[in-house]
Order: sequence, then structure tokens, then C-alpha cells
Amino acid sequence: MAKFNVLDHNLVPEHHIVPEEEEKDILKELNIEKEFLPKISPNDPAIKALEAVHGKIKEGTIIKIVRKSPTMGHSVYYRVVASEVFK
Amino acid sequence: MASLLWRDTSKNISAIMERLPVNYALDFDVPKDIEDGYITINRKNFTYHVVISGVMPYSPETEAIAKKKSGLKSIITIEKVEKIEPLSVMEFRAGGKTLETIANFEVGERQVTEIREKYGENLSEDVQNVLDDAKAMGFTIPESVAEEIARRRQEWGEKTYRNILKRIGEEIGNELIDPYEAVGIIAAQSIGEPGTQMTMRTFHFAGVREMNVTLGLPRLIEIVDARRIPSTPSMTIYLKPEYETNDEVVMDVVKRLENTSISDVADIITDIGELTVTVRPDPRKTKDRLIEMEDIMNAINRIKGITVMEDSGQIIIKPQQESFKKLYLLQEQIKGLTIKGINGIKRAIARVEGKEHRWVIYTQGSNLKEVLEVDEVDPTRTYTNDIVEIANVLGIEAARNAILNEALRTLQEQGLNVDVRHLMLVADMMTFSGSVRAVGRTGISGRKSSVLARAAFEITTKHLLRAGVMGEVDKLAGVAENIIVGQPITLGTGAVDIIYKGYPKTKK
Repeated sequence: MAKFNVLDHNLVPEHHIVPEEEEKDILKELNIEKEFLPKISPNDPAIKALEAVHGKIKEGTIIKIVRKSPTMGHSVYYRVVASEVFK
Repeated sequence: MASLLWRDTSKNISAIMERLPVNYALDFDVPKDIEDGYITINRKNFTYHVVISGVMPYSPETEAIAKKKSGLKSIITIEKVEKIEPLSVMEFRAGGKTLETIANFEVGERQVTEIREKYGENLSEDVQNVLDDAKAMGFTIPESVAEEIARRRQEWGEKTYRNILKRIGEEIGNELIDPYEAVGIIAAQSIGEPGTQMTMRTFHFAGVREMNVTLGLPRLIEIVDARRIPSTPSMTIYLKPEYETNDEVVMDVVKRLENTSISDVADIITDIGELTVTVRPDPRKTKDRLIEMEDIMNAINRIKGITVMEDSGQIIIKPQQESFKKLYLLQEQIKGLTIKGINGIKRAIARVEGKEHRWVIYTQGSNLKEVLEVDEVDPTRTYTNDIVEIANVLGIEAARNAILNEALRTLQEQGLNVDVRHLMLVADMMTFSGSVRAVGRTGISGRKSSVLARAAFEITTKHLLRAGVMGEVDKLAGVAENIIVGQPITLGTGAVDIIYKGYPKTKK
């Protein structure tokens, strides 16, 4: 029921889907396993907006977030789409 | 493209579907240029889509299926009816405003939102060059620093530029956080110490009439506790640039936002002898809030099981079932009846900001979702101080930014300088799991994976008992659990084991 594009809001940083073939490189660079990445819910409005562009987003997809940072200019953050929250 | 929207019975629809194409007589006037329509049965979702090929005024001679027995006004020719996936009523707009109830008929437009990913501005070549140079020297510098260097590169000359870049690299190297440094503790202290300096008082929000917003320590506590509803929810609403300086539009929006109930504009009198409730609108109040008698009638007509009479400017309402209990319930129901406005917005005040005479609307009460759907509102800047609401409407990343902004603003208003990195860490921790978590028993601390750490924090027996029953395993990775068992903690040097590489085996 989106009537406005949430990705346009000033508070929402850029969200990009990471292609599956690039996932390995990112996880290697961060030296981490996928399940330990910060999570984002599949029902998150930003994910819903991405789905309107790219079609269904599977759980386990890594989302690259490019934030505007007051200290860094831009900073890159990763979240993994997961419905279960950490226990 | 405008579409005809109306409510109908499933009986009528099946009658139409049997005899396609067919003329159908409706009890309302239909504009000539309509080409399709949607039918709802339950007033919530549209379930049928019809293709309309002609519209004409009603005449009894034309052969047509009638929607009702009397009061017919126009005839449409229906070419095709198809069942569609339920389409929410909210997807349509009528006459520029959101359609709230489709009683019988409206002409509305299906809204189409173009959703595209946004891509940030690319870095200019100069900045990229600086970043590349730094990388060649073996370190990375933040973009914001690179921009500054790129701007001054010309005046410095190439040699000075190289030297400065080298020195920056050294400085950054010195400032880096060491591996296994306890950043969380440092953040806690860095926010906590200035926090002791905060006044416990909440100030009135200077400049805006009677608007009270929680500030200072109570507000900071509220932010880290991730309360469902903050104690003073408020919104800052920006209008689209074309309306920002237009006084009339601004005042109109303010009136449309403010939630007006019947008791705000009318006197409600209950007559126990006659068993009636009389609503007597106050002309001064209705004029002030731009409310017509019709609006009040529409609101009252939504109540079921009553008979309504209008008599010289007052409305007399009688419950169909004559009992004191019904009368009392009716009275209460009428008092709280919303005539117009957005749920939750108690007050809205417009204020001029800046030299350019731009209006900004401040509200008491918050309803981000519905406010963003108002046409004149700029959906890219409008802001609320309710963090949980932001998480629901704009997503977890927006909530993270909101936590950061709110906390930083609260501290700065008190004249405290806390490094933004500490607040970023807190904001990131709070949104780590994909939903906003409080710092404390119910949130971050209460959900650590280590049993002993949780037991050391709060409700010891509960956690230990549960861990025993469930057979939980503690990997002793954190601080508290290692202190409990008497081991070195996994911080700083304690985190590093002796590494013995040995000599490679030589083949004999």
C-alpha cells in the first residue's frame, strides 16, 4: 500500500541488493559468517520498496546500505534479510 | 485515469455477469468520460473490475438491469466484469484527498507510485584521486577528509599535499581503535558522564505556542528504552516546496490535519425524559475549524441503530431501542466521534521559519503514515520523534538514523558535546536485530547469548533455572561470564592467546 517511495525519505539511506556472486567476497573481507551480520526483516518497508523494483527478495539476501555518515562522508553497512531475530 | 467506484451487492454482480454486455442503471450521476470502474462489496476492498463502454442519463425506455428499484439516475453499458485480487479502498484517491469511506459512489483515481532505488551522488574525480593516493600510501581516509584535502590541493602545491597526506595517514593510524578494545564501555561512559550534567527539568518548547516536548534526561531515557509511544509524540511536517510559502494552503492543511471531534465544535445535550441526544453546533467554533453541518451529519450517519432528525440547526438523535443504557452509550459514542482530521494529531501549529518565509507545521501527537499520504506534505522531509513509528513506516535503517538524530539533538540542546561515534554505536546496537530493541533488561542486555551474563545482570534465578532446564551452553566469550568463572576476560590482551607457529616439518 505504498503511496510514496520510502527510499526517497531523507532518513532512509540507500539500499542495494548484493548479487549472490559478490556475497562471498564481502563475507571474506569482513571475515564473518552470514548469520552474524546485522539483520533486516523481510517485512521492512525498505525491503518492500526494493521488492517493487526487483521482485521477491529471498531470506538470506545481503543488503548493502550506503549511509551518509557525519564522520566518514559515506559508510557502507551490510544487513542480511532474516525474519528470525537473534535470541 | 479516473475510475468509477461504487458499492454493490453480490446478487447484482452475478446478474450482470450472466448477461454481458449489459446496460446497468445506477442511482447516481456518472461523468461522461468514465471508461472503467471498480466494485466493492464490503467497503474495504474492491473485488471486481468492470469495463464501461458508454454512459447515458437514465430513461425508463432503455432496457437495463436496475441497481435499485427507484431513484435511478444514469445508465452505464458494461462490457466486461472480472474478479480481481482484493484491492484496498485506500489505493484510490477522490478529488485530491484520501478516500475514507466509499458509501455508495465516488469517482477516484488509482494511485501509481513509481518506486526506484536511489543512488547517491558519485564522488568527484578530485576526491577519488585523493582517496587513491592515500590507498597507494597504505591507508584509507574518510571521504569527508578527502573532500577537504581535494579542495585545498591547488593552493598547497604538490609537495605540501603529499606531506599533509602522509601526516594524516600517521594521525589516523594513531587514532585507530585497537582490536578487542571495549568500545561499548567507552561509549557508555562517554554518554553517561555528560548525562549527569543534564538538568532534570523539562523545558517548554520555546517559540511555539503551548507546545510541550520532553527534553533532557527523561527524553534520553525514552530514546534508549525504545518506548512504544514517547511521552510527547510530535511531528515536524514540511510541505512540498510549491506550497511552502502559500499561507492559505498551509492553513488549510493545518485544519485538515487537526483531529476534530463533535465535542470540539458542538454542544451535546442528553434529554433523559425524551430519550434523545441533541447535538447543537456552535457557529463560531464550526467556522473556526471549517466544518459544515454536512460534515457533522456524515459523521453521525456512520453510527448504526439510530434515527436522526435535523431541526433548525440542531441534530436530534434517538436510539432505535429505547433504553437508558443505549442512550448513555450513544452519548459517549457521539462525544468521541471524529468529524475530520487525522487520528492521533491533537494539535497542529504552523510557524514561519527562516528568512524565506517558509511554513513548517508542528503537531502534538503523531501519525506518520497518514500524514505522509496528505498531498501537500513533502514525504521526503517530514519527521516524527516517535522512533518505533519510524521503524514501522520507513524501516529499520531510518529508525537507526532517527535514534542517532534524536539522541544527538537531546544532548546538544543541553549544551553537551558527546562524540557522535558513541551514539552511532548505540544506535547500531539497538537496531542490530532488525527491530528496535531497548538498552536494558527487555532488550540488548536481556537477550545476550550467555546465560551467566544474563544471570549476572538481572533476575538471576530465572535465567539460571531456565538454562538448567533447557540445557543451555555458555561458551564463555563475554566479560561477565569469565569474571564469574575466574578467567581472564576476552578484552585487550586477555583476548589474545599465545600463538606458536612452530617450525615447518622438514622432510627427512
